[in-house]
Amino acid sequence: MSVNEKFSAIRKGLLEFLLLQIIAAEKVYVADILKQLSATEFATQEGTLYPLLSKMRREGLLDYEWKESGAGPPRKYYELTAKGREQLRDTLEYWGKINGTVKKLGQK
Amino acid sequence: MNKVITINLGGNAYQLEEGGYDALRAYLEFAAVRLQGNPDKDEIVSDIERAIAEKFRALLGSHKTVVVTKEVAAVVAEMGPIEADSGQAADPGAGGAGAPASASGHGAAGEEPAAGRGGTPRRLYRIHEGAMIAGVCNGIAGYVNADPTLVRLAFVLLTLFWGTGLLVYLVMAIVVPEAFSPEEKAAASGVPSTAQEFIRRAKEGYYEAMKGFPDRKARREWERRFKQQMRGWSRSFGREMRWNADQWRHNWHSYWAEHAPFHPGMCFALPLLSLLHGAVTLLWICASISLLATGAVFGLALPANVPVWVAALLLFIAYGILAAPLKAARRACYWGFGQPKWAGSFMFLLDAVIWLAIVAALLLLAVHYFPELRQAVRSLPSLAHQAADDIRAWWKGK
Repeated sequence: MSVNEKFSAIRKGLLEFLLLQIIAAEKVYVADILKQLSATEFATQEGTLYPLLSKMRREGLLDYEWKESGAGPPRKYYELTAKGREQLRDTLEYWGKINGTVKKLGQK
Repeated sequence: MNKVITINLGGNAYQLEEGGYDALRAYLEFAAVRLQGNPDKDEIVSDIERAIAEKFRALLGSHKTVVVTKEVAAVVAEMGPIEADSGQAADPGAGGAGAPASASGHGAAGEEPAAGRGGTPRRLYRIHEGAMIAGVCNGIAGYVNADPTLVRLAFVLLTLFWGTGLLVYLVMAIVVPEAFSPEEKAAASGVPSTAQEFIRRAKEGYYEAMKGFPDRKARREWERRFKQQMRGWSRSFGREMRWNADQWRHNWHSYWAEHAPFHPGMCFALPLLSLLHGAVTLLWICASISLLATGAVFGLALPANVPVWVAALLLFIAYGILAAPLKAARRACYWGFGQPKWAGSFMFLLDAVIWLAIVAALLLLAVHYFPELRQAVRSLPSLAHQAADDIRAWWKGK
């Protein structure tokens, strides 16, 4: 089993955290998110993203507003709620801790 | 020249080729199934529809107004499989219809179940719609993409050889799961629920044609012809069945031609022989299943260069050789009873029914209590693929 495969579950779990971070920076719609992720190890497809986004919205982490697009149907632009920002702060802090632990363990 | 279907996606009309329409419908149906139980199901599905609409929009221009089948397939592949969020809408059936087709069953189930073939993963199921008995032939036909009638005919022919077809049918009717959910139905044939689709199309055609007949007389005439056509279809199948039954009867009479002398010991020997025969059959079935499940017969590994399907064939031949004398002895016993003709046939029927019941009951118990057996049955389709590939490679090698 390659490292890539071993980390698939972890990547899946981290995706929510990354979405918080992307959406915190600016109002985005799904194609923006996919583009930002596509160059990374976290490249995803709509089929995964939409269910996850709607779950996060249900949890009150983010909200969206409709915007007309020049051509085609209107788009949903996502933004973080106060709760989402709080969660992002907590997660970043926790992530820092985990990172520290990974570096520290096993060293003398 | 292809038929074009106009659809409404996210409030805009798009024209798709018929094949593309089918693919898109299958994808959206699949999405709806995956999101079963998700409180945001409708919203997610409409999100997805809107995303697809946007992709279609990007493909079209002033000189291109129709999305062709290939493009729909590409868009659907780009969308990727719908992943229900964990714990929320994971399909409850242990059958795991959405699980990857590989029987090995990795822990990370659901990771791109269909990415490999760009369609629905195929699995062997029984299909009830349009079935004659238990949907076994229908399921096989869906799996190998053949006409169910041909598969049925193959079974009937196989039955002429000492009832092999009947036995295989019975076993499959017991161990092959039936396709219940739309997702399973899609997996059964690799396309959106063929039977349903067929019925839907037939109905659509029917109603379309009805619209074209404003005056009642013409409509009634058309209706009559539609029904007649349907009836003719089922009648031709009935004729086939009757022909087979005649063959059966013919074979029977050739048996009666050879009479064996009656011996009272036969009364005791017959049930014993039947049991022994049943035991040999069961042994063969279990050996085959253990071969399919573990790649070894009861722990005895195969030589390295023998593929599993060859081993399975050898097992079948070995079974045939072992069972042949038992069968011959049993037949001799029936002839012994054949003083009045009907006594012999009655004994045969009774014995056959009891024998089949014993084998079926034991098999049912075995499948119920040993999950490995169920797993083995799941691995059957991939085995069939492997066999087909092997044969193809061998043919090309020649």
